[in-house]
Amino acid sequence: MPAAAAIHTLIVDDQASMRALIRTSMQQLGFREFREAGDGEAGLRQMITQPAHLIISDFNMPNLDGLGLLRAVRAHPPTAGAAFIMLTGRADRELVARAVQFGVNNYLVKPFTVAQLKEKVETVFGPLT
Amino acid sequence: MTAALREATAPLRVHVGQGEHYVTTDPGVMLTTILGSCVAMCLRDPVAGVGGMNHFLLPEGSGSGPDAGRRYGAYAMEVLINDCLKSGARRDRLEAKLFGGGRMFDSLQDVGGANADFAERFLRDEGIVVAGGSLRGTGGRRVQYWPVSGRALQRPVTDHSPPPPAVRPVIAPDAGAVELF
Repeated sequence: MPAAAAIHTLIVDDQASMRALIRTSMQQLGFREFREAGDGEAGLRQMITQPAHLIISDFNMPNLDGLGLLRAVRAHPPTAGAAFIMLTGRADRELVARAVQFGVNNYLVKPFTVAQLKEKVETVFGPLT
Repeated sequence: MTAALREATAPLRVHVGQGEHYVTTDPGVMLTTILGSCVAMCLRDPVAGVGGMNHFLLPEGSGSGPDAGRRYGAYAMEVLINDCLKSGARRDRLEAKLFGGGRMFDSLQDVGGANADFAERFLRDEGIVVAGGSLRGTGGRRVQYWPVSGRALQRPVTDHSPPPPAVRPVIAPDAGAVELF
């Protein structure tokens, strides 16, 4: 049973307000360690220099989108084991299927509730303490 | 002017209802909406000639935590921004006009004010330039917006034709889920 406070999370979204909302939602679940990036390219740079245990990433982003980030993270051995939860604007079956193909651990449809976020994170890490 | 010419040169009117958004690169399109306590964000990139409008009302936060309304609102803004970006806009060139957020009923809870506060804070947080608009007040508004030129007109709604009552959205417990694993 992992302690949420011990899980380092990278939040990747091109909207500053969405990153802040994800962070405050994670804080309600006990998470304490965060880094943020405004697009997939910046997120990948952060993962390479300082890998996180969990990536929560938007799909629609400039430079490198969420799928591109997912593929790059999985292709780089030091970061390949990170848990990856994709944020989607809607339940896009085609996007979800491609993300599964590239190794996503789960996905979350916006706008989400804290309970939905908790459920998705727990399917990856197990019950949080 | 003949009837055919009048029809050919008349703007294409698109009504944006609550919970909807519309983006276009067509300079002949005029977006319209009627606002009470709801807010409409009119957004455009003047260089790319892309623009659009949304029309939202924050849901009640009870039962979903204090940030539930903000998460919903941020998503309503995001879908408009993303569709503008997909049509060629650049985030650093976006400019917005905000309308609505009126106090429609004399009650303790100022729903319109909360919507206006959210929209202003969102634009501040995202660094999007505010190019004009009209928020709060005590009545409804009819808004017309030409997204490519950025021209906007508003008229107060008279008592004879009040805006339709807004229904505050409810966040479904598991909206849009896809069975994955």
